[in-house]
Amino acid sequence: MDRDLRIAAYVDGELSGADRAAFEAELAADAALAAEVQLQTRLRARLSAAYDPILDEPVPPRLMATTAAAANDAGPRRFGLGQWAAMAACLAIGVLAGRIALPQGSGSQQGLPEPRAGLARALDRGLAADAGPIRISLTFRDQAGDYCRTFTDASERVAGLACRRQDRWETRTLTAWAPAAGSEYRTAGAETPPEVLAAVQAMIAGEPLDAAGEAKARDGRWRR
Amino acid sequence: MEPIRRQIVDLLPRLRRFARVLARDSADADDLVQTTLERALSRAGQWAPGTRLDSWTFRIMKNAWIDETRARSRRAKVFAPDEDGETVGFDGGAAMQARLEAAEVERAMARLPEDQRLAVALVLVEGLSYKDAAEVLEIPPGTLTSRLVRGRAALISQLEKVH
Repeated sequence: MDRDLRIAAYVDGELSGADRAAFEAELAADAALAAEVQLQTRLRARLSAAYDPILDEPVPPRLMATTAAAANDAGPRRFGLGQWAAMAACLAIGVLAGRIALPQGSGSQQGLPEPRAGLARALDRGLAADAGPIRISLTFRDQAGDYCRTFTDASERVAGLACRRQDRWETRTLTAWAPAAGSEYRTAGAETPPEVLAAVQAMIAGEPLDAAGEAKARDGRWRR
Repeated sequence: MEPIRRQIVDLLPRLRRFARVLARDSADADDLVQTTLERALSRAGQWAPGTRLDSWTFRIMKNAWIDETRARSRRAKVFAPDEDGETVGFDGGAAMQARLEAAEVERAMARLPEDQRLAVALVLVEGLSYKDAAEVLEIPPGTLTSRLVRGRAALISQLEKVH
């Protein structure tokens, strides 16, 4: 497989098992390769940032109506009561589906997407010591007294910072990120990208919480 | 409502996103979604339960788009590439920054040859596997990956040059 194709396959999650491990070993030893992977990861993140907000837009009613009405195209084009009822049901389901698929709605004040369900769960319940694709690194209070947490998400290949605002997590910083090869046992924060650390520096009041403080804040459901 | 109809309703946000990659103008994109829905629902019996409904519907959309662009070129209706003027309202700060960034990405995508743009959209935006994306585009896997590699290289050279 040629080099560009392997990089693409790695970034797109198409390498499995031994191929992936071999690639990651090369990645650790080859800074140029790592830089190319970084560029490709960044491209994915930029495309997502550009196109994903479309998922949060309300679906135009005419499209909802099409799904309800198109079945009986052969028949007369007048709607019977049953079809209107079906259409109404469709609209209701569409609205509901939108909520379920995208539970956090239209994004934070900074125009960043709000954390998706898996990330929101990790922010809610995770501790820095926990393993898994989503890792929490630092937990701290910002100058307003709200709790904020930095995270890395290996499956979405992003890292960022989210703060608790009125019972939900708001993404404050989000950046493309890929786990460095063989980095599973790094200390918390060592993998946090510099942009995220800079945001922490700008926002933090006092020191990051220690493990006990973190657990206590979680058990208090992140209330101030 | 039969199950396929319900599942297509659930797919609507993704269909709209894929359509926006094909037809940049959002009204054109929703027209394309509408055509796709009509075709998908009229052929619902052809969908094999247990196979991916998203891939099936994307393939219908891809073919609807090809029909549409052919009809347009027959009518010699040439669309000016909308290079000029980001249609971004003044809303200040990070939100505007995000929209400018999105507009830049969309312009770079629009400059790609269509076959590369489709490959990039299905894999990098829609998250399909190489196998599924190749099936949607009805091309061999090797063709898909070469389009993907060329498309990515072109996007990176455009998007990274000013940074």
